[in-house]
Amino acid sequence: MELATSEYANNTAYDELLDRDLQPRLAARPLIDYLNSLDENDLAARRKEVDATIKAMGITFTIYSESGNIDRAWPFDPIPRVMARKEWECIQAGLKQRLTALNLFINDLYNEQRIIKDRVFPAEVLVGSGNYRMECIGITPRFGVWAHICGTDLVRDRDGIVYVLEDNLRVPSGVSYMLGNRQVMKRIFPEVFRTTTILPVDDYPTQLYQTLAALSPRPGDQPLIVVLTPGIHNSAYFEHSYLAQQMGAYLVEGSDLLVDKDDIVYMKSITGLERVDVIYRRIDDAFLDPEVFNPDSMLGVRGLMRAWRNGNVGIANAPGAGVADDKVVYTFVPQIIRYYLDQDPILANVPSYLCMYEDQRNHVLNNLDKLVVKPANESGGYGMLIGPRATQEERAKFADLIRANPRNYMAQPTLDISTAPTLVDGHLAPRHLDLRPFVLQSDKLYATTGGLTRVALRKGSLVVNSSQGGGSKDTWIVEEGVP
Amino acid sequence: MMLARAAENLYWMARYLERAENTARLINSTTLVLLDLPPGASFGWVNLIEVAGLDSLFHQHYPDANEDSVMRFLIEDSRNPSSILSCMQYARENTRTLREVLPAEMWERINSLCLYVRENAAFACRSRRDRYTVLSNVIEQRHAIIGLVSGTMSHDLAYQIIKLGRNLERADMTTRIIDISSAVQLPQDDVLHEAIMERIWKSTLDSLSAYQSYRRLVSMNVRGSEVVNFLLNDMRFPRSVDHCLSEIEACLKLMPISQQLRQIVAQLRHKIAQRHTDRLSAIALHEYLDLLQAELGEIHDALNYRYFHSQPEESPPIEPVPAESELTQ
Repeated sequence: MELATSEYANNTAYDELLDRDLQPRLAARPLIDYLNSLDENDLAARRKEVDATIKAMGITFTIYSESGNIDRAWPFDPIPRVMARKEWECIQAGLKQRLTALNLFINDLYNEQRIIKDRVFPAEVLVGSGNYRMECIGITPRFGVWAHICGTDLVRDRDGIVYVLEDNLRVPSGVSYMLGNRQVMKRIFPEVFRTTTILPVDDYPTQLYQTLAALSPRPGDQPLIVVLTPGIHNSAYFEHSYLAQQMGAYLVEGSDLLVDKDDIVYMKSITGLERVDVIYRRIDDAFLDPEVFNPDSMLGVRGLMRAWRNGNVGIANAPGAGVADDKVVYTFVPQIIRYYLDQDPILANVPSYLCMYEDQRNHVLNNLDKLVVKPANESGGYGMLIGPRATQEERAKFADLIRANPRNYMAQPTLDISTAPTLVDGHLAPRHLDLRPFVLQSDKLYATTGGLTRVALRKGSLVVNSSQGGGSKDTWIVEEGVP
Repeated sequence: MMLARAAENLYWMARYLERAENTARLINSTTLVLLDLPPGASFGWVNLIEVAGLDSLFHQHYPDANEDSVMRFLIEDSRNPSSILSCMQYARENTRTLREVLPAEMWERINSLCLYVRENAAFACRSRRDRYTVLSNVIEQRHAIIGLVSGTMSHDLAYQIIKLGRNLERADMTTRIIDISSAVQLPQDDVLHEAIMERIWKSTLDSLSAYQSYRRLVSMNVRGSEVVNFLLNDMRFPRSVDHCLSEIEACLKLMPISQQLRQIVAQLRHKIAQRHTDRLSAIALHEYLDLLQAELGEIHDALNYRYFHSQPEESPPIEPVPAESELTQ
């Protein structure tokens, strides 16, 4: 198997599998040895098998376009991303620490607001937050936990340090692809699982089930758990049905549920109504309950907030949890961890500038050509400016946006995010990637083993979102030096 | 316990899969009949479309009914909701919403069969030989799916609903396949007539994989009236209308609030058993088959009302659910 040597010679980023001399890192050595034992034809044949398997398994995602929604096969790169177990365990501890603190923070914001009174977190940031829900004030959900499922985006910069890029606390997706990627790899490259000790990932559905079951208002019984999906046209529908199946939960749409006069949520079954205990909702707050939020929502359930407030149903993530999923709030997470846990953060934040503060805003406006500017509440890589790659006009337009609404923007230095060898035209070329582990919290804490590695398949691209030309890789957490 | 919407999707998934298989059988049977026709006889392509109940839709899109247009319409035309391609697309879409109630391999199987049909439908319309190969593969892969259902799926409510949909569709398609004989126009020659009709009925039996059973259970001679009686009334043959109805009855017995439905099915079985078909003229047979199709449609309506769209507020008192052992047998 050959490296695309000229591309690697020009690669300034940290490579996950190869060191500066293009020698395999210790954790990746068995994998690279295995790849070297394959010739180009072997690899091309496996590539074909991978594509056929993904098609047959029906692993898809949906792209919205003007000519209708297209169901695309999941773009998958067969060369895994490898990380040593020792490093992963440290990251895992950091992820759990972070989610614990974020949940204490959200619960505080909806109750005493101690962190504001103690002047650690500025009140004006909360005022400007698009995801703070007045309807949730005064509520403490079970265990004080609001964000039960969190997808945290991690990147590694040139210095080799892993940074948290953002915390997705609303309806993070991608975990089904993490599970699917592993299944594909096991089918197509079974030999390599014999030469390396790769930690399994497939306990996630069980852990998710337990996390959700703990939220049931009727403990003891086997709870009735539903996954609430916007429907088959949603881009993550594959994941909704996959997780429901894996957990043995019911996959429902808003119209399958109703809240009766007793403020209890029921599901319409073939024999009448059945009480629902826990809802894993995969629709945004705004569409959850037309009685309280967007009155035109066809996706939600009228009265759901009433049922939740009265403690008759568990909802994950809790309505209003998104308040901490905000790129401005993000910049305060290190202080939030210190404030609630009295610990130093294990995982680093990317240094950030807040446009709401005049001195930092001026720095951002003067350095737009060097920075990445992000709006507070967008996801999926939309609405951001990558300064070094933008045109003069784009930067000028963004400067106006920032001046008009400074609370809504933050900026970070452009990271040279790490690469890993990726199969391109029969060669292994460096492509940029990130990592999204999933963290669960209810009565217990859990983090996935590894996570979803997303890779920018276009040369030089830093955008890993599947809606914008990204693909994914299997992520291996391995015992270093153990064959 | 089962979501009403999921039950409806399951039911349609089962019907579409069965319809795809039976349409493949209908077409293969037609091809066999065609090969047996003597000079001077002709095949009424229009009648075949009528038998399938699709004549008005067909005429909206095609000026003439001939082998080429009818085959394209039945196999690959997505404007025809009952074409094999459409059936598979609908079955796939329904399965996509049902992954949590089906065995994990189900989705992969149905998805693969759908991809196979998508990729080969045009090829199947090229020649009789290619058609036969592709359609035989469709039937074979469909059998693997049934095997998966009965061999790996827990025999719970979802299983009963799949069985219901499958048997109702199968009964309906059997009546339509019997009706193919009405599409043949023969020259006026009594001697020839009898010999040809025998061949046509043999093709009908072949298309339902029923020839061997018929010979063993009924007679070495293939006679129209006996074939019709066998395919409608013989409990022992799994594609006969009576067998399908008995399967439906068995499913309903294991389902909640099914008393009224069971009565409707029992009445239809009784009616079919009482009716003698041996003296029916071709036209009377055709009319009788139409009538049966309408009665099967009423069972569908009753299922629809009872399980898929009953308003929860008005739901009648719930009958005791059968004991666990009955459900898991």
